[in-house]
Amino acid sequence: MILRIAIKEFKELIREGRFRIMSGAIAVLLIVATVITFNYYQWVNAQHVAAKENARNVWVSQDEKNPHSAAHYGTYAFKPKYPMSLIDQGVDKYTGLSIYLEAHKRNEAQYMAAQDQTAASRFGDLTPDFILLFIIPLFIILIGFNTFTRERESGTLRLLKSQGLSSMKLALGKWLGVFLPVLLITLFMALLTLILLLGIPDFGELNIGAYGMLFVFFLIYYAVFTNITLWVSSISKKSGVALIILLAVWMVSCLGMPKVANRLAETIHPYPTQSEFLTSIHEDEKGGLDGHDPFSEQAKKLAAETLKEYGVDSVHQLPFNWDGLLMQKGEEHAAEIYFKHYESLKQINNAQSDVYRMVSVLSPYLPVRFLSMALCRTDYHAHWHFSDAAEKYRLQMMNALNMDFAENSSYGDWAWKADKSLWKEIPDFNYEPMSYASIIETNESNIMALGIWLILSSGLLFQGVRKLKVI
Amino acid sequence: MHKHNFRFEWMQLQRDRWVIILLVVFITLCFFAASNGKKKVIIRQNEIANSQSIVEEYEHNAKKIIDSLSAGLNPDVSPWTNPQRLSVVGNKGARVAAMPPAPLAFVSTGQSDLFTHAVKPTLTGDSYMLSFTEMSNPVQLLFGSFDLAFLCIYLLPLLVLGFSYNVLSSEKELGSLRLMLAQPVSIYNWLLNKILLRFFIMTGIVWVSILAAMLVNGVQLINEIGGIIQLLLLVAVYIMFWFVIALIVNVFGKSSGMNAIMIISIWVGLVLLLPAILSQSGNSIYPIPSRINMVNEMRAAQAETTAKADTILQNFYRNHPELAQTKEGENSYSYYLKFFASQDVVKEEVEPVLNEYATKLKAQQNFVLSLRFLSPSLMVQNAFNNLAGTSSHHYESYREQVVRYADTWREYFLPRMFRDEEMKTADFDNLPQFTYNYDEVKSQYSSDLLGLMLYTGLGLMLSVWAYKRYAKEILFG
Repeated sequence: MILRIAIKEFKELIREGRFRIMSGAIAVLLIVATVITFNYYQWVNAQHVAAKENARNVWVSQDEKNPHSAAHYGTYAFKPKYPMSLIDQGVDKYTGLSIYLEAHKRNEAQYMAAQDQTAASRFGDLTPDFILLFIIPLFIILIGFNTFTRERESGTLRLLKSQGLSSMKLALGKWLGVFLPVLLITLFMALLTLILLLGIPDFGELNIGAYGMLFVFFLIYYAVFTNITLWVSSISKKSGVALIILLAVWMVSCLGMPKVANRLAETIHPYPTQSEFLTSIHEDEKGGLDGHDPFSEQAKKLAAETLKEYGVDSVHQLPFNWDGLLMQKGEEHAAEIYFKHYESLKQINNAQSDVYRMVSVLSPYLPVRFLSMALCRTDYHAHWHFSDAAEKYRLQMMNALNMDFAENSSYGDWAWKADKSLWKEIPDFNYEPMSYASIIETNESNIMALGIWLILSSGLLFQGVRKLKVI
Repeated sequence: MHKHNFRFEWMQLQRDRWVIILLVVFITLCFFAASNGKKKVIIRQNEIANSQSIVEEYEHNAKKIIDSLSAGLNPDVSPWTNPQRLSVVGNKGARVAAMPPAPLAFVSTGQSDLFTHAVKPTLTGDSYMLSFTEMSNPVQLLFGSFDLAFLCIYLLPLLVLGFSYNVLSSEKELGSLRLMLAQPVSIYNWLLNKILLRFFIMTGIVWVSILAAMLVNGVQLINEIGGIIQLLLLVAVYIMFWFVIALIVNVFGKSSGMNAIMIISIWVGLVLLLPAILSQSGNSIYPIPSRINMVNEMRAAQAETTAKADTILQNFYRNHPELAQTKEGENSYSYYLKFFASQDVVKEEVEPVLNEYATKLKAQQNFVLSLRFLSPSLMVQNAFNNLAGTSSHHYESYREQVVRYADTWREYFLPRMFRDEEMKTADFDNLPQFTYNYDEVKSQYSSDLLGLMLYTGLGLMLSVWAYKRYAKEILFG
C-alpha cells in the first residue's frame, strides 16, 4: 500500500508540467554548476602545482647569501584544493590562498578571492553546494506543499480515510512520493561528480567513504525538509497558506538564521580587527627578546646564561656566532607570542562555532552546511590546519637558517654568506590535510543536530498525519 | 471612478490583517537590519579611533622625548627608538590612513567586511605589499550580514508578492470579477488602480520603517537628505518593479495557487539564481587574473633584481637598515639612503607586475559589473553599495589612495634625510595626513536606478500588451 501511494504520487508529479519544468531546470543548473566548478577546480589545481614548483625553484636557486637574508626573502606556502571541493566550495573564497613564510612574522593567508571579485559574488556562486543546500529544499517545498491540502480541497481525503488506511502507511507513502524524485536528483548529482572526478589524474585523493557520507548527510537534510513540508501540508487548511508558511520556514532556516547566528556570534564573541590583533602582538613583543637588539634586557640575560653555560667570558669566545643564536632565540620568542595570539583567536572561533551550533536548533541548514564544508575540506578548520602546518614549517625553516648562520659564521660578521647548497638542505613544504577521522570527530555535534532534526521532524509529521482532519 | 476604486480597495485592505501584519513584521526586521549595519559601522569607527589614538600617544611621547633631549636631559632611549631620528618616526610613528564610514554605510555592509579600514604605510615598508585584509571568521563572510540591503533585495519582493499575487485571481474565484465586468470601467485600469494603491501603501510602510530605523540609529536626516532621498527612491522603484511582476502574473495567471507558485519561481529565478548565474558566468567567460601567477611573476622579478640591489646595499642591511653603523663624518642616514635606492631598484621591477595585475583585475571587474544590468537585484545591490560607500570600487580607490599617500609620506622624509636633519617637535604638525576622498569614486547609482526603471517600464508594457492580446481568455478563461 505504501508503495502504491508513493507510485501514485510520483506518477501524478511526473504528469504535472510544473514538476517537469522544475526538475528539468534543477538538472540543467546542476550540470552547468558542476561543469563550471569542475573547470575552475582544474584551473586552480594546475596553477597550484605550478606555483608550488615555482616557489621551490625560486627558493633553491637563490645565490649565496646570508641565511638571514634568505629568511627574509622567504617562500610561499600554497593551499591545495581537494577533489571534493567540487561539491562544496565552503569558505574557500573567504580565506587566502597562500601564506608568505618569512622571518620574524607569522603572516595571514593572502589573496582572498572574494576581495578580487565584485560585490555581485556575495549573492553566492552557481556551484553545486548552492543548488544542493538552497534550491533542492525549495524544490521539495514546491512539489510537496499541497500533498495533503490538495486531497482535502478536492475532497479525496475523505475517500482515502474511508479506506481504513493507517496514518503511518499514508504518511510513508506520501513521503516516498515526494522524496523519491529528490533522491533521484541527488543520486544523479553524486554520480555526475564522481564520474568527473574519476576522470582527473590525481583522483587518488578522493575518499569514497567520505564522498558517500556527504551525500547521506544531504539526503538526511532533504528528508527533514520533506518531513516539515508534509507536516505543514497536513495541518494547513489551504494550499496557499501551506506554501506561504513553508516558504517562510525555508527563508528563516536557509537565509535568515545563518545571518542571525552571525550577529549573535559577533556580538557575544567578537573577533579582533586586524589592527587590534597586530597591536596586541606588538605590545607583547615590546618587552621581550628581540633577535636584533643585543642591548635589550632580555638579550643581556640570555647572553649571561649562555656565557655561563659555555664557561667563557665574552660572546666572542663562544664556539658559534652569538648573533645567530640570539636571532634564533628571538624567532622562538616571537613564535611563542604569535602562538599565544593565534590560540586565543582559535578560542574565539570555537566559541563562535558553539553559537552556530546553538542556532542549529532553529535551522537544519546550519549543521548540514558545516558538515558538507568539513567533508569537502573547505571549512574554516581546514584552513586553520593548513595555516598551522605552514607556521610549523616556517619555524623549522628559520631554525635551520639561523643555526647554520650561528655555526658557520663568526661573531659580528654580517657579511658572511652561506653556500647555495644550504637552500636545498631545507626540505620542501609538504602538507598533509586533516584526516577524515578527526573531521568527523570535530563535527560530532553537527551530526547529532542533524539527527535530532530528523527524529523531531519525523515525529511531527507522524503526529500531523495521525490527527489529519478531513475537512 | 478612480476615486471610487481607491476608496473601496482601501476599505477592503483596512479590514485585511495583511496590512497590519506586514507593517509590524517589516518595522521589526528593519530595526534589526539597521542595528546590524550600525554594529558593523561602530566596529569600523572603533578600529580607526583605536589606531589613531595609538599614533597620537606615540607622537605625544615622542615630542616629550625630543623636548627633554634638546633640553640636554638624558631620557632612557636607544638609538633605535630615538624620535629625533627621521628613520624612527617614519616607521614607528607611521600615521593611520583610514577610510571612515560614509554616513549611510550602515544600510549596506557590501564589501566592507572584507577590508581593513585603518592601515599604516611606513617609511621603509613596500607600499605595494600592504595588506588590506580584515581579520574575520570566514563563516561570517559566507553567511553575510542581515542589513537593510539584504532586507530590501530579498524580502521586500516576497512581501510585495504576498500582498498582490491574487489581486485579479481572487476576484475571479469569488465571482466578483463578473460584477466588475458589468461596470463601465476598463478592467485593466481597475487592476492597475488596485496595484497602485497597494504600491503606495507598501512604499509608505517601507519608507516610514527605514526612516524610523535611521532616526533610531542616529542618522542626521537633514544632513544626509540627498543620500536618503536617493535611497528611498531606489527602494520605491524596486517595489514598483515587483508590483509590475505581480501584475504580469495576474494578467497571465490562472488560479491564486498557480499564481503563488509562479511568483515564487520568479523570485527564486530573479533574486537567487540570476545573480549567481551572472557572477559565475562572468567569472568563467572572463576569468579573474590568477593571483598565483602574479605571485610567481613577482618572485621572479624580485629574484632578478636582488643582485642589482646587492650592489647598492648588501642584502642583510636591506632587511635591517637599523643595524647598519655609519662612519664618522658620513650622513647618519647613509644606509637608509642606500636602502631606498635599492628598494627603488626592486620596486621598479616588481611594481609593474602588480600594476599590470591591478589593471587586468579592474577590467575583469568592470566586465562583471556591466552584467548587473541583466539583473534587477544586482543593480539594486550595486546602488545600495554605492550609496553606502561599500562597493568594490570604493575599496579599490582606497588602495590607490593609500599607495599614493605612502609615497607622500616617504617624500616627506627623504629630502630631510638627505640633509641629515633631525625630527623636531614642531615637525609633527607638518607630517602628511591621509584623508579618504569619497569623491574619487564615481557613483553608479544613477545608471542602476535608470536600469531598474527601464525594466519596470518594460514590464508594464508587457502587461498592457498581454492584456490587450488575451483579454478574453484572461477574463473569462
